[in-house]
Amino acid sequence: MANRTSSTAQSVHGTDPQFLIETTFRQRIYDSLYWKDQCFGLTVTGVMEKAAALTSLGGCYGASRKPTDFLCLLLKLLQLQPTRPMLHELINQHDFKYMRALALLYFRLTESSVDIYQTLEPLYQDFSKLRMRCDGGEFEIVRMDEFVDTLLREKQACFVTLPVLTRRMMLEDTGQLAPRISPLDEDSDSE
Amino acid sequence: MGQMNAYGGEKSSEGFRRQWDTAAYVQKARDREQQLKLDEENEERRHKGLKPRPAKNTAPKEPRELLEARKDAVRLDKMVGKSQIVQASSAAAGQPGFYCKECDITVKDSLSYLDHINGKKHQRILNRIMKVQVETVDDVIAKLASLRAIKRRQMDKPDYDFYEQVKLQQQLDAEKKLKRKEAKKKQREAKKSVVASDQPDEMAAMLGFSSFGSSKK
Repeated sequence: MANRTSSTAQSVHGTDPQFLIETTFRQRIYDSLYWKDQCFGLTVTGVMEKAAALTSLGGCYGASRKPTDFLCLLLKLLQLQPTRPMLHELINQHDFKYMRALALLYFRLTESSVDIYQTLEPLYQDFSKLRMRCDGGEFEIVRMDEFVDTLLREKQACFVTLPVLTRRMMLEDTGQLAPRISPLDEDSDSE
Repeated sequence: MGQMNAYGGEKSSEGFRRQWDTAAYVQKARDREQQLKLDEENEERRHKGLKPRPAKNTAPKEPRELLEARKDAVRLDKMVGKSQIVQASSAAAGQPGFYCKECDITVKDSLSYLDHINGKKHQRILNRIMKVQVETVDDVIAKLASLRAIKRRQMDKPDYDFYEQVKLQQQLDAEKKLKRKEAKKKQREAKKSVVASDQPDEMAAMLGFSSFGSSKK
């Protein structure tokens, strides 16, 4: 019951939203202490509280494939399915960078390609440093814009397989997106 | 004034015969019939190897609270290094492991214990359903504001002064000790008053005297 998706949740990409995280990693999360102890009975505001206390990103690390708190909270969000206005609030706030990263990853997993490009691209200008817990358990520094780039280009982030994102060129050709004006171009023009 | 009966009382319109609440007995008969049907069905299911179907609970359901996150931390290492006299109020309470008072169960494993207290049975005893409250954007905005305020308060704290902190900690410890003493005192007094009030009533009722020793001074 604690591991079930909210009954009000709608399917995402054709499946139960929790299935966006692979079975192996999902099971590791369900079996972890943080999930059972801290993530039980959380609402969206509860997740926000925990996210404000996060100190690193990451997937499952170490020989025993221990899930990070970040990943546990991601699964909790997938269970609760916050609405889009809520997500925008979490992404647009500047005080808690790990909360922002969590909301961004959630957004990337659940929303449509057009929305993803429109929401994530402005964050190329956020240069905050984030701690990433790597495979072996050691920490690495990743900047927010690097993280956003991973979300937009790579197939996987924090051990979560990202759903297929339509290429920007295609969306520009069909007129759903305006061609991207990089802030760098603007700067060079102004000079 | 109506007609008078042989004993001088009034004759009632219903007569002198016993009356029964027909509606209640009709309901009883219906329930019994349903139960018989259910028993028959369960017999058949048992022969087929299926689980028995439970009886329908027609009592009105009490509204239960929504699921909430735990406010007090579950300290799994609470009893580490501590000795405890086994008073064994029940067989389960005396066992080593994690004891759940509400369900009278001892679980040997910490993760299984967490599974238990997160589980349906336990939450039912705490009068909770397994759904959390659905929140709105306004809740999120309010929460962000409060988290920001907390963060700001922490950042505005003055620089760490060691001697100040030591003093503060000593104060807090002294307060804790006082509280504990007072709590123990209260408990002792409460026990005394309960014991004192119990005895006279029982003894007086049973034996005819309320305490040992003579009443003579």
